Amino acid sequence: MIAWTFILAFAGAAALLVLPKARESASRWIALAAGGGGLLIAIQHCLLYSKNTDTFQSVTNWEWIPALGIRFHIGADGISLVMLLLTGLIAVTGVLFSWNVVKNPRLFFALFLTIIGACHGVFLSLDVFLLFFFYELVIVPKFFLILLWGSTNREYGAMKLTLYSVAASALIFLGLMAAHVASGTGSFGLFELAAADYTRGFQLWAFPVLFLGFAVLAGIWPLHTWAPTGHVAAPTAASMLLAGVVMKLGSYGALRVAMPLFPEGLAAWSGVIAVLAGAGVIFGALAAFAQRDLKFVIGYSSIAHMGFVLLGLATLNHIGLSGAVMQMFSHGLIAGLLFAVVGRMIYERTRTRDLDELGGFRLRHALPAATGVFIVATAASIGLPGFSGFVAELSILIGAWRAFPFYVLLGGIGIVLTAAFSLRALNRAFLAEEEQTDRPPLPPLTRPEVIGAGILVTATVLAGIQPQPLLELIGRGLDGPLFEAVLQIREVRP
Amino acid sequence: MNYLEFLILVLPEAVLTMTALIVIGLGAKSGRGGANPFSSGFLTAIGAAGIVAAGLVLALLPAEASLGGMLVLDPLTRLFKWVILAMSLLTLALVPGWAPPAHRGEYLGLILFATVGLSLVISSEDLLMIFLALELASLSLYILAGYNCDDSYSAEAAMKYFLFGSISAAFLLFGMSLVYGYTGSTHLAEIGAALADLPTEPIFALGVVMMLAGLGFKVVAVPFHLWAPDAYQGAPAPSAALIASGSKVAGFFILAKILLLSFADWDGSADWGGFATGWVPFLALLAALSMVFGNLSALAQTSVRRLLAYSAVAHGGYILLGLLSGGTVGIAAVLFYITLYGMTAIGAFGVVALVEQRRGGDSVAHFAGLAKEAPFTAGCFLVFLISLAGIPPLAGFFGKFFLFTSALGGSAAGDPSGLVWLVSLGLGMNVLSLYYYLRVLKQVFARPPAESTGHATGTPPLLGCMLATTAGAIIFLGCFPNLLLKPIEAALRVVG
Amino acid sequence: MSIGLNEFLAVSGLLFAIGFFGVLLRRNTLIIYMCLEIMLTAVAIALVAFSRFNGSMEGLLLVFFIITVAAAEVAIGLAIIVALFRKRGTVQVEELNSLQP
Repeated sequence: MIAWTFILAFAGAAALLVLPKARESASRWIALAAGGGGLLIAIQHCLLYSKNTDTFQSVTNWEWIPALGIRFHIGADGISLVMLLLTGLIAVTGVLFSWNVVKNPRLFFALFLTIIGACHGVFLSLDVFLLFFFYELVIVPKFFLILLWGSTNREYGAMKLTLYSVAASALIFLGLMAAHVASGTGSFGLFELAAADYTRGFQLWAFPVLFLGFAVLAGIWPLHTWAPTGHVAAPTAASMLLAGVVMKLGSYGALRVAMPLFPEGLAAWSGVIAVLAGAGVIFGALAAFAQRDLKFVIGYSSIAHMGFVLLGLATLNHIGLSGAVMQMFSHGLIAGLLFAVVGRMIYERTRTRDLDELGGFRLRHALPAATGVFIVATAASIGLPGFSGFVAELSILIGAWRAFPFYVLLGGIGIVLTAAFSLRALNRAFLAEEEQTDRPPLPPLTRPEVIGAGILVTATVLAGIQPQPLLELIGRGLDGPLFEAVLQIREVRP
Repeated sequence: MNYLEFLILVLPEAVLTMTALIVIGLGAKSGRGGANPFSSGFLTAIGAAGIVAAGLVLALLPAEASLGGMLVLDPLTRLFKWVILAMSLLTLALVPGWAPPAHRGEYLGLILFATVGLSLVISSEDLLMIFLALELASLSLYILAGYNCDDSYSAEAAMKYFLFGSISAAFLLFGMSLVYGYTGSTHLAEIGAALADLPTEPIFALGVVMMLAGLGFKVVAVPFHLWAPDAYQGAPAPSAALIASGSKVAGFFILAKILLLSFADWDGSADWGGFATGWVPFLALLAALSMVFGNLSALAQTSVRRLLAYSAVAHGGYILLGLLSGGTVGIAAVLFYITLYGMTAIGAFGVVALVEQRRGGDSVAHFAGLAKEAPFTAGCFLVFLISLAGIPPLAGFFGKFFLFTSALGGSAAGDPSGLVWLVSLGLGMNVLSLYYYLRVLKQVFARPPAESTGHATGTPPLLGCMLATTAGAIIFLGCFPNLLLKPIEAALRVVG
Repeated sequence: MSIGLNEFLAVSGLLFAIGFFGVLLRRNTLIIYMCLEIMLTAVAIALVAFSRFNGSMEGLLLVFFIITVAAAEVAIGLAIIVALFRKRGTVQVEELNSLQP
């Protein structure tokens, strides 16, 4: 049963909360086991998925709160499985990269696993109330992860990130309730709500409310400023998780809930979404160019990459949407990798993230392995062929070309800018040739760091050179009944 | 009328009254040297036993009975009498540690008398009986609020509570007299039946509005909320907990009952662009004002007790939303929410009491580093505040979801756009509320304790039990709301 | 002219208004209590009149209870005033401001 993904995570969190203080060192093993278990289950279901022709598999459908027609309804299609895979990868590597947390590791990993479990839950929910339940479950753990273990400006970052998330959730809340009431089905089931007829006037206001609610968490411009602040303030594992998976909850929700529910509203607003997405790509990249703090560079690059996801969603055609999902997967891995290198491998050793100061460390010689990983991650981030980002961004651009040709230009500019700021950061921080020999040698990478980086690099390269299995999964998800109306929008119009 | 029948119907209340008299008697007994021979723990245990006994007796009573409408027993009133008893029982857990030290017996007796009043409020369907029961509860609560003779804050809190309470009672009565004069009956259902044939006139509308104003005081709705911050701040902790929980539950219960049984035909509409006169627009106005003023005022508070008071005002606003729809779904949402709100309030006051005792104040700064000194208490406090903010997996999340959904579904035109303005306001204000809850929690978890004065750490066992019960219930109801919702719905279906 | 329901209600309403404004405007808590009593008396007058003109007894019944409850209320109110006076040495409402945000 696929529910074991989040049951394992929550059980791990509960076990950590009751773990006696004397056995504190076991907490990371528990966390690793829970995260790794989730990853194995996800892999197993990916392998099994093609054996069956159903779009949604491993379905569980129980009564939960009959008074409002709310059901415990979960199941996985190809898109869910890809996201589960990503969550599992980030869970395992996140634990590996926080192997040496000393301050209250039990609570740290309990909060970490709660977020992981909630993400699994969102990706599997087929009842919008259940989805929203898991979606909101993320908020409090991430606040405390940043507040208690964070670095730069953590109180401000934690509060800002949390309030943005809650405000966005309030929009989703309103949209879902309105859909429930207007549908007249007395149900919160995704399929029932998607099948209901809504008047055009209703869709025109309900769609933007619901979509914007999800899109804020995906970092839509101009409501993205919480993301860099929060991700920089967060501890490494949390940055990886927040940028890698939690931002995807937003884009996933937009794709899974907002778009299928209100196709007419979507048709009317898709142009606006594309404009905002394009602006996100350009402004995110420009902002990244202006940063001195390496973590902020990555924070803003996330905005640019998520802009591509939103652009893919706005294309409303098969290749664009599948590119968007692929980009979610790919950016999750790349963001995780970048935050891991900067927050864990570099910052823990040098205690600085300033580009120029890092240049003084001659990292190329001091930490060759970390430099190598960063170069790989940068290459993937730029979208060089052979990495997952290439496939994703190419698909999105093809989709955008079909939908609104002008935007390909914007996307192209975005890609160039991304390359520019990434190479600038790489050059100044890692490859600077500055002679300074009075610094003590930096400690070498530890084994968990090497393994974690190895997993993420392998995954992104594998997805880059052999994307077909993933694209197949995504494609089968998009062929499902939910997206029929969405994919018809552009075809009907001349 | 048969007196035996009467006695059977009020048997739970009779048990409570007997217990109260016993406790007062034992508390007044002077042993050797003039000191009372009974410890307050012992007296509290007797009081608790009396409440449990009343609950058991209640279970044995016939399923449905009525005494000319004066006293009614049906599944719904039975369920909510249990809720009231549970609130009192939880409040008693605070008495040994935090009630004023003098005259414990009388203090406990007053809590029990207030419980009798609240319990009678639940079961009455006649204006006369409602007034009497409300007054019994209120008079007991005034004394409980001012019980601490050594503390001028307590007396001031009681004074303000009393003044506003008396004014509201006068308004309630005047409204009742007008409604009675217009319809010729004091029985709720007969009033409703009479209204079906009568046109509504201004004098009747005035009566309804005055009654709502009087009840608005009980449920702490703006602009009738001015007493709440002072009473919550100055009253002894157990009194404040009872005022915030039991009194509010009974207030909302009777408000819902009066509106549905008597005034269902004169509801009107608060839809955007479709206003129609009736009590719905009036309540919508109260709800909007409560949500806005409650949350905005709470932002500025430094005292956690006052913060809880203003958050109570805001929650009053959210709950009023559920009443607007007028259907059983809305009522179920209201009843669900007040029950869990009452538990949350008692738990939160328990934590505040502990902090006051150890650190000498209830300002936000006094909570600094609580997580280090009493991790369990801090964890429960987290559960209470986050549930108030409406975040899963806690019951407050589902409660709010249910309330807002029923409000949206309740607009007169059947189109969800009608009340979107009000629901959006509530949601926006709810986001704001998270800010001030997190401000407190930040002190609790992220700041070091102000100074280490060597005071006790950890959680006292009785308080720990109470906190574990309430926090556990909130988490459990958050994951399985059906456990409480199903009985409420079943009872509502029986009542009709 | 004969005196009808409206005249009684007018008197009652007037008394209620006098009591209410007294509560709002007076500063001495003892006077405020007296104004509260006036409000309750106004209610009693209205109830008696309604009872007479509706021809039902329920209103009269309520009046007796109101008088009793009012007495209990005054007893408690005076006790609170005494407790406050012992602590503060004043019963003026404008000096009851120690509970502030």
